[in-house]
This record gives sequence, C-alpha cells and structure tokens, in this order.
Amino acid sequence: MLKDYEKLFSHLEKKEPPKGLFDRIILAIKREQELQHTRRLLSGFLSLFVISLISLPFSWSMLIKEIDTSGISYFISSAFSDINTFVILWRDFSLAIFESLPLAGMIAFAVSLGMAVFTVRLFLYKKRLLLGYLKQSFA
Amino acid sequence: MQKDFDKKLVSDYLTGDKKSFEILVKKYLKPIYSFTYRYVGNAQDAEDIAQDVFLKVWRNIKKFDLNRSFKTWIFSIAKNSCVDNLRKKKSIPFSRFENEKGENVLVERIADPRPLVDEILKRADMTKTLNLAMERLSPDYRMVLFLRYNDHFTFKEISESLEEPINTVKSRHRRALNQLKKLL
Repeated sequence: MLKDYEKLFSHLEKKEPPKGLFDRIILAIKREQELQHTRRLLSGFLSLFVISLISLPFSWSMLIKEIDTSGISYFISSAFSDINTFVILWRDFSLAIFESLPLAGMIAFAVSLGMAVFTVRLFLYKKRLLLGYLKQSFA
Repeated sequence: MQKDFDKKLVSDYLTGDKKSFEILVKKYLKPIYSFTYRYVGNAQDAEDIAQDVFLKVWRNIKKFDLNRSFKTWIFSIAKNSCVDNLRKKKSIPFSRFENEKGENVLVERIADPRPLVDEILKRADMTKTLNLAMERLSPDYRMVLFLRYNDHFTFKEISESLEEPINTVKSRHRRALNQLKKLL
C-alpha cells in the first residue's frame, strides 16, 4: 500500500523553491550574525560605560584620600623647599616617596581611567555601527 | 546514514566549519519549502516561512540535541512556523468549505469512494486532480500524507516532526486517506 500511495504522490506537483531563496537565507543569516555582533558590542560598550562612569569619581576620591593620608605630599614639598638637601639625600627621599605612594588608589584610578578612555575609543571607532543599530531599534 | 550525516554537519558547524550550515540549508531547502508551501498554500508566505525556519534553526542550533533527529527537528520548527503564520492570518482553509451547519459541502458533493491508484493514474489530469484534492484537505491531514508519501517519513518521524502522539498521527493518516479517496 505504501508503494502505491508513494506512486500516487509522485504525481503531486513539485514545488520548487524560487531561485535566489538559498542566497536570501544565507544573507539573512549573515545579517542576523552582524546584528548579534553589534548587540554584543553595544551591551559591552554600555556596561563598560556605566562601570567607568561609576568607578571614575569613586577611584578619584579614593586616590585623593590616600594622597592626603600617605604623607607623600609632605615628602614632595620638603624636596622642593630644600632642593640642596634633596640632591644630597636623593636616594632616601626617593625611597620615602616611593614607599608612601598611594598604590591602591593609583591602580584603581588608572584602571577606571583606562576603561573610560577605552569606552570612548570603542564608541568613536564603532560609532556608525552602534548609532545605526540604536536608530534601527528605536525606529 | 542520513541522520549521521546531518549530525556530522551540525557538529562540524558548531566546531567552526561555517560551510556545514550552508550544506544543511541546501539539503533541506527543497523539502522545507515544499512542506511550508503545502501547509500555507501560497508561494510568498511559503518563501518567508522557509527563510524564517532556517533562521530559527541557525539561532537554536547550539541547543540542538545531537541524540535527536535533525530532520524531525527542522520539520517541527517548520510546522510551528506555519501554524504561527496561519494563526496570524487567521485562515483555516478547510473551513472555507463548511456551511453554517458545520457540514463540509465539498465532501458532500464528492462522488462515492473509488478504488485508488491504478484507475486514478489513468486519468489525464492526475496531477491537477491530486493537487486540488490535497489543497482541499485540512492542513493537518495534508501534512501527514505529504510527509508520509512525498518525503517518505515513518510514522515516528511524522509524530516527532508534528509534535503529536504517534497514535494520533496514525489515526489522522487513516482519516486523511479516507478523505482523499472521497475527494478523488
């Protein structure tokens, strides 16, 4: 019976996919891939932007606080006020300044600043792509 | 054999061979297009749905269970896309032939059932008759017959593709054949 019906169905009009459908499908997939890539880029950009926006003032105030409490400003001002002593004792002065460096604050601020600069650069580099995507999304 | 080849293409694609997906599209384009065409009944919608099916496959291929059959997976996506399309358009082709009392005018007008195949094949306009009869079947009946006899699916494969219990598929197949005989 199966064979009989298969024979019968061989008379069914064959519906061929239109020419160019394959190319359209591949193109649609490529577009979707690009869209996904832009979406990922945009979410990465936005997260970095938000993180750097929050962390920059915090790390800056942390750096200022550490500078105030570390005594580095005292060593630097002494060095400038008595330049002759500084020249004679430059090794001890340098060591004292180095030891009193607010390292944690400096690292935190440098990372935040680096992130902010990277975010701005990323935006400038992919400006057209990101703005195009945003326009398309809100249109 | 065919299942293994599909699985190989899927796993090749997932490991970075982009061409494998194109091979899958090429392989399934015709059957999926025919399926969607038979389901929705017009070329434009069938084309859009076929494109949508492959996009959905691409989006979800990472979630595809390699223990499943790719063929039934892609056909189940196609079936769901067709149902969504028809739902959007709110078109139920078979109901076009029903009167207020719910009787199917078309079936009522059909002559007595006749023996199939050999006699029918003698008809000059066999293709036309068969196409017309198929179009007049409800989408559920049409798809069962189409998958069974055109795409040579087993009942199990039809059941997986249409996401229906196998017994439902079998009884629907039987009813569809009876209906087709009446229509022919």
